[in-house]
Amino acid sequence: MSAYVDQFPAEARIVRAAFWSSFIALGVGGLLGLVQVLHRTDVVRFMSGADYYTVLTLHGVLLAITFTIFFLVGIFTWAITTSLDRGLENLRFTWLWYGLMSVGTVLAAIPILAGFVGSVDMSASVLFTFYAPMQAHPLFYLGLTIFVVGTWLAGADWFRTWLVWKREHPDERIPLPTFMVLTTMLFWYLSSLGVALSILLFLLPWSLGIWEQVNALLTRTLFWYFGHAVVYFWLMPAYMMWYLMLPKISGGKLFSDPLARVVFVLFLILSTPTGIHHQYLDPGIAEGFKFIVMTNTFFLLLPSLLTAFTVVASMEHGARQRGGTGYFGWLKALPWRDPIFTGMALAGLMFAAAGFSGMINAGMNINYLVHNTFWVVGHFHLTVGTAVALTFMAASYWFIPQVTGKRLWNKSVALWQVLLWFVGMTFMSNAMHRAGLLGVPRRTAEPQYAGFEFEAGLGSVAELDAQIALGGTLLFVSVVLFLANVVMTAVGDRIDDLPDNEYADTLSGADDAPLVLDNLKLWTAIAVVLVILAYTLPLLSIIDRGGVFGPGGGAFPMVAESLRLVVVAAVDAGVIG
Amino acid sequence: MNIHTYEKLWLAAAMVLIVGFIATITYGSVGVGVAMIDDSEATLDPNDLGEDERFAEPRVEHVGDNEYEAYVVARQFIFQPNPIEVPAGSTVTFYVTSADVIHSFSIVGTNANTMVIPGEVATMTVEIDEPGEYGILCNEYCGAGHHDMEGLLIVHPEDEFDLEGEE
Amino acid sequence: MTELEREIGHDEYDPIGTLALIAVYSAILVVMWLFMYFVEFLGNDLTVVGVIG
Ligand code: HEM
Ligand SMILES: [Cu+2]
Ligand SMILES: [Cu+2]
Repeated sequence: MSAYVDQFPAEARIVRAAFWSSFIALGVGGLLGLVQVLHRTDVVRFMSGADYYTVLTLHGVLLAITFTIFFLVGIFTWAITTSLDRGLENLRFTWLWYGLMSVGTVLAAIPILAGFVGSVDMSASVLFTFYAPMQAHPLFYLGLTIFVVGTWLAGADWFRTWLVWKREHPDERIPLPTFMVLTTMLFWYLSSLGVALSILLFLLPWSLGIWEQVNALLTRTLFWYFGHAVVYFWLMPAYMMWYLMLPKISGGKLFSDPLARVVFVLFLILSTPTGIHHQYLDPGIAEGFKFIVMTNTFFLLLPSLLTAFTVVASMEHGARQRGGTGYFGWLKALPWRDPIFTGMALAGLMFAAAGFSGMINAGMNINYLVHNTFWVVGHFHLTVGTAVALTFMAASYWFIPQVTGKRLWNKSVALWQVLLWFVGMTFMSNAMHRAGLLGVPRRTAEPQYAGFEFEAGLGSVAELDAQIALGGTLLFVSVVLFLANVVMTAVGDRIDDLPDNEYADTLSGADDAPLVLDNLKLWTAIAVVLVILAYTLPLLSIIDRGGVFGPGGGAFPMVAESLRLVVVAAVDAGVIG
Repeated sequence: MNIHTYEKLWLAAAMVLIVGFIATITYGSVGVGVAMIDDSEATLDPNDLGEDERFAEPRVEHVGDNEYEAYVVARQFIFQPNPIEVPAGSTVTFYVTSADVIHSFSIVGTNANTMVIPGEVATMTVEIDEPGEYGILCNEYCGAGHHDMEGLLIVHPEDEFDLEGEE
Repeated sequence: MTELEREIGHDEYDPIGTLALIAVYSAILVVMWLFMYFVEFLGNDLTVVGVIG
């Protein structure tokens, strides 16, 4: 045994490249996050309201897509090679998919950034959901497509490696980390197909002027067909870290390998036929469909609730082996001074809180209360913004030394960093949830209105704004500390007493898991059938009502909006004055 | 596969939770009568709102005893009509459509909240008991002026309410 | 990496602490759910009801 970089030097390079791409997105995205909190709360405003949406588009794309997915292709590559104990088949192919993902990101970023420059007739301030008939520059859609194709090829790369391994090990169980990667990629293929169809059949040709109009509800539904499953694409790598890393760092073993497999299978079959829960308040979709989707969604809680048990039980196993006792006393025996452990444990804790707000979001009719309010932003900064992001940052403190062969620059800075994230997010997310209940909208540059005020039962809007601004600032400082730490680590000297590249052992191992769990074809088939059942009727009904290209309406390019507004204002002033 | 007794317990409890959540929502729908925005209205061409008898002239209409219908158009970056005026003690159905991109029609601090999608008509019926004023806002990003998109719902005391063109 | 005081095997380990934590968590969930549904939501103004007439 030795460190990853010694076992797989060529693969370590690709993992490093993916991590750096991810971290750049985190740095820029974090800075934009700070700009947003300060602008919304009116603490510091240095740009126009119109530019805010360009910032928000970039924040959403960079953090939800670039940061998360680049990081996960890094750890998936690690998981495949480590658990199969073999390198990738063809590194040229590996660099090809990494290249496609990078090119895609840059292509999509160009029109977004151009949105800041009034004189360039190009923009993509459509937010990361790009709902038609708002229209972005074709490059934006093209970039996203190329990026997604890159991830598809990455999946092919891992499947291929596994198939070769399988030929050589016909009677072995799929190692757990590989199993996790393969099931995750299967539902990623299934779900990203929706957004790919939406872009390739409708949005891209429409932005090029080939189609005159598109069906707003249809493209929106295709987006959410993908849009809910993508949250599991972010989350599964975090779960993977909790199953594979946390038990070991806690000094214990994974409580149950079979249940971990069950969880990933459940995500494969259930994560896609739920997307319509983002459309509870959409006209044009019957209440019955909404109810069915809600049922699926609530059952999708099951794998997460199971994960909570298995992961906490694995930590407890470690704590008891380290001498912990009692009903709750064992918690004190956990390695709280280790930033890797503490980061992941706090991420898990915040995910438990997110579970609560997620249940509210999932409730079909209670959704009236929270839909598109700031509550939702509070919710997903706990999920993707903490359960995922903080787990990734904490995991980096283990991975960066493994893939660079260098010692972590400063462990106590790392510990402060994860704590600061936790405190900052507590302030920001809690206040966002509360503001949402007052009706404060999300995706709004300046939520201060001329004709009315938000009525706070407890506290005041000013108090909530202060907490949001404070929380956002702490989070930004945390991002800076994280980046400083990984950069300083990377520029350090090579050492040769690194810990071995290992992951957690199991208490109940793979031989305990029924063979059928490894039958990926079966689970994929079930997943496809469920998707067909859940989506055929709603899609047919939408098309039947409005037609494939919609009942009419034009395109609304988000081109140089700020400039246009200025011109309109000037004309108005001239006419009136 | 052997699952620890405690984990089986938790599995059972989790199922109870899930079923309980679904039961609560069902109670809300069936017991309380909370209705979802649905597909009850036919689609229409957002470019032809001028020819639609409801939306050509966005307004409030008196359709029954205490029943009113409000035909509302959301467009970059206004709601029409504005303000929307109704009497207290009435049942109001909002028909909301968009003339351009996706918006929302959300009555601030209440449960009345719907997406507004071009080509579709959202319908939403609410009972309004007390006089007062509510803000209306758009909570779906709809372009550079999205944050300026607001309106007002004025609920008049029953005896002070007169709808234009009515005796 | 960590010093273990003892080795606990599969058959001798009962995650009672996990069970306790998770029981507390479910209790919180249930209380918050009921509060949010019946107080915050159903107690709120202008709930959308079925089309009348
Ligand atoms: C420095 C830390 C961060 C701060 C201060 C921050 C702040 C914000 C704020 C204020 C908004 C809402 C803007 C609005 O609705 O008007 C927002 C949206 C969002 N944030 Fe963050 N955020 C941070 C980190 C993250 C992270 C780590 C992620 C994900 C990995 C993330 C993902 C998102 C997404 C997906 C949106 C929604 C964009 C949209 O509505 O289109 N954020 N963020
Ligand atoms: Cu979802
Ligand atoms: Cu808007």
